[in-house]
Amino acid sequence: MIRIQSLTFRYEDSKVDALHDINLTIPDGSFLGIIGPAGAGKTTIAQCISGIIPHAVRGDFYGSVVIDGLDSADTPLTDLSRLVGTVFQDVERQIIFPVVEDELLYGLENFGVPREKIEERMTFALTHTGITSLRHRTISSLSGGQRQKVAIASLIALQPKILILDEPTGELDPGSSRKIFALLQELNRTYGITVVVIEQKIMLLCEFAKRLAVMDQGRIIREGSVREVLGNISRLEEIGVNCPRVARFSSLLGEQIRQEISVCVNVEEAEREARRVMG
Amino acid sequence: MTDVFQYTPGDSVLHRMNPVTKIFLTFCICMAAFLTDHLSVLIFLLFLDLMLGVIAGIPRKAFSIFRGLAKISLFLFALQALFVRRGNPVFWIITDEGLRTAGTVVLRLLVVCLPFALILAVTQVSDIANSMVQVLHVPYAYAFTLALTIRFIPLFMEEMSGIMEAQAARGIEFDTKNILKKFGLLLPLCAPLLISSMRQTGATATAARVRGFSLRTADSGYKKYGFGLVDLCAAVLSIALIAGAAWIR
Repeated sequence: MIRIQSLTFRYEDSKVDALHDINLTIPDGSFLGIIGPAGAGKTTIAQCISGIIPHAVRGDFYGSVVIDGLDSADTPLTDLSRLVGTVFQDVERQIIFPVVEDELLYGLENFGVPREKIEERMTFALTHTGITSLRHRTISSLSGGQRQKVAIASLIALQPKILILDEPTGELDPGSSRKIFALLQELNRTYGITVVVIEQKIMLLCEFAKRLAVMDQGRIIREGSVREVLGNISRLEEIGVNCPRVARFSSLLGEQIRQEISVCVNVEEAEREARRVMG
Repeated sequence: MTDVFQYTPGDSVLHRMNPVTKIFLTFCICMAAFLTDHLSVLIFLLFLDLMLGVIAGIPRKAFSIFRGLAKISLFLFALQALFVRRGNPVFWIITDEGLRTAGTVVLRLLVVCLPFALILAVTQVSDIANSMVQVLHVPYAYAFTLALTIRFIPLFMEEMSGIMEAQAARGIEFDTKNILKKFGLLLPLCAPLLISSMRQTGATATAARVRGFSLRTADSGYKKYGFGLVDLCAAVLSIALIAGAAWIR
């Protein structure tokens, strides 16, 4: 479980808080999506959960982030890394070695995974991310999307208890984005891995995430199930969150007929609601 | 040019050789080059360097590196020839001793630099780092630093060419033939490149830490680096080169 209490963080040399009084509990096995406009503090909260803040980034850190009973401020980053796998926003800076296989091996070797299990773990990660054919390729020969998959595969191979991904589909086409989210869903459902995803593609979150948290100006302004969060669409649009058109449709429909319409998160639901209203 | 320092996959004898043997061979070539002043021996060593490129199955890359180094060498040759005052005058202020010294310096530079570039072309940086830890018992932090330095060379070159392309698209004449002008245009790019390099290094260090960098031990490596017949032959050749250079000296 991840428990964030009264978390405030201000980067060194900054005059404003990047995070302000954050309180959030993420139970084991959750699939949480974090959305919000640029500069809302999404990456900062991801770094706080992964332990990069306060261990590798300087600033004023108040409050606590407790991961599986370990306070992130008191626990060495390496120990936190055994629990939490992090995919950075800029995967270029995350990839250490120039060949895909070496990149996957790096973490496995460091964490002392037994030799007989290394091949199995690598095959699992490569197969599930769909990059088996890239195993011996150099990173420089890969596209942005393929590099993103390599970064994700290198963490999946470590089988962490918690996966944090900062815009993991930023450079992927819609088809590949869906595949990555389907993979995250499978890891979440089958292996019980807690998944926290920061993502701008809100439709994907609506489809795959169990819960959403909305951030604005360093605060969590709303947190709940996908339907609960999308229930107040005007507030989300006010802060610059691009809401799904189906959710906007159900909201407008409700306003027009002055009836309570359940929030739609996909086209099928929107069609069903429209047919019901039209009789 | 950015791919010069990048690994080229292959299955040649040099690819299969233990990375430590490759490092040993490279150092022996360098030592041989510094032990001798004979131009003929240096030319032989240069020929050997290029042959290593051919054996590795990367002749084009080897000659491309050679061409790149030759351009710098020409400049060094001119400097040496102009500034060495010993010997008999041959032309204007240039002396025979000056020409000989310039030739020796330039050949030595080529002989020393080429095998290092070739090693990087036939060995993955992770193998260099891991074999140094496993075989030579070098602390992993040092081996990793070396590996990362090598890894960053092409990245920085890519970034540099990216900045140059972006500037050229906005009318800056990076394609000018005037070397001094080009140098003047490149100077202002040093600061942004340095800053972005520092950021990149910091981010990669964090990425290494969150994947258990500090837990690494000499036994952590998955791949094992054994020695075979080809390594023995290379070691014999390496020692023979040093002995030969010392003897001819």
